[in-house]
Amino acid sequence: MMGNTSSRPLLGSVLALILGLGAGCSHWIELAGPVDAPTPASATVPTEARVPLLLETVRVTHNGSAIAPPALLERQVLGAIEATRLFSQHFQSGHTQPASGQPRVTVRLSIDSLVEPHAGQAAWRGFIIGASMFTLAPFIPLHYDYASDMSLEMERWDGQIKRYHATSNGSAHYNLFGANPEVIEQLKGQVTEACLSSLLNQVIQDSPFYLASKGQSEGSPIRTVSVGVRRSSPRPVAVSQPITDSSPQ
Amino acid sequence: MTTTCLYAADPSPTMTIGTQEVGLTAGYLLPHRLTQDHTTKQEGPALMPSWMITITDPLGDNWYRGQVSVGAEMVYIQFQKPIVSNGIGFTPKIKYTFVAGNRVRPYFEFAGGTFWTDFTNKVPEESSSFNFILTAGVGCSFFITSQTSINVGYRFQHISNAGTSYPNLGLNSSLPFGGFSFFF
Repeated sequence: MMGNTSSRPLLGSVLALILGLGAGCSHWIELAGPVDAPTPASATVPTEARVPLLLETVRVTHNGSAIAPPALLERQVLGAIEATRLFSQHFQSGHTQPASGQPRVTVRLSIDSLVEPHAGQAAWRGFIIGASMFTLAPFIPLHYDYASDMSLEMERWDGQIKRYHATSNGSAHYNLFGANPEVIEQLKGQVTEACLSSLLNQVIQDSPFYLASKGQSEGSPIRTVSVGVRRSSPRPVAVSQPITDSSPQ
Repeated sequence: MTTTCLYAADPSPTMTIGTQEVGLTAGYLLPHRLTQDHTTKQEGPALMPSWMITITDPLGDNWYRGQVSVGAEMVYIQFQKPIVSNGIGFTPKIKYTFVAGNRVRPYFEFAGGTFWTDFTNKVPEESSSFNFILTAGVGCSFFITSQTSINVGYRFQHISNAGTSYPNLGLNSSLPFGGFSFFF
């Protein structure tokens, strides 16, 4: 009986510690855009009518300052375009080029990213958390906001140009012990993905504009391919939930 | 193996939100008798293992551009003079590191927390075993790889019991220190 009574505070403390650390290690990401996200577009296009695509330039600014586009970002952009299957081949400026004289679509992408790390707030909250001997760590969240504004210019082989625009933003919320570089990278990746999806969705809606009309060889069947954008959810995405919230709803 | 080669070729440290630092610092405590009532010239070695986490991107655009990290430190001090006594404490800590320099990064830091000692009946300035320790310091980190730094600096330390018992004159001291940190 005595053992039972004395073990209760210990059990409570251990439970509180586990819950506290669990909540303290949590992080979650909310995506707020694109604001005017249209219904995902899809189309069926003749395979032979598709033309190659050349990603000519990717211009990136970070809080207004031009920066060199990260290779990973260029690959992400090209991968997203490739996944639509709207184009027959995909080339990148500086690498292998499509054959000259062949119809092709040239792409120029401009990405303006805005970062609001709430550094002052984080410093102040970090001080408060430290002063509380870290007991407040599970209850004081830190925030990091990221927004992306993309402009896509697509030039057809005959010089006709179409321009598209999309904006997306999101926030990462995390507790002190949940802070890690991956949280920020996940936020940036998801915002970029949502923005790209919105852009490419607009492109898919214009898919006939990017097809070359080619004569159908007699007797051969018309082969087609479904084109569309990989689905990305604009809703809040919980990457990791506090242990206390993980019970079934 | 590849990673190691990359670090050797490019020792520029990159600290982002969530970058953690574990360190070990050692120094020698030198006394300051600030009033005539202070009689004890306590001195001895100090050992301070610490953990910190970076919580901000770089702040500012000028020479003062820097990052804030918070964490905690264990403090062990063995007072060897005038009488051997020991103290051990736990102090939350906040640090501002200037990042304008690449591999040489000055910083200042503050820490404060509880400190248990066996001062009772040994040190006339302090009457209880439960005390607090406050630290303010400046230092400089020299990054030898992108993840490892050697640190040197100076701290001022104050130990007292916040008036929980008397006498409580407080012990003040200087602590020149050296150490190393590993970032991950």
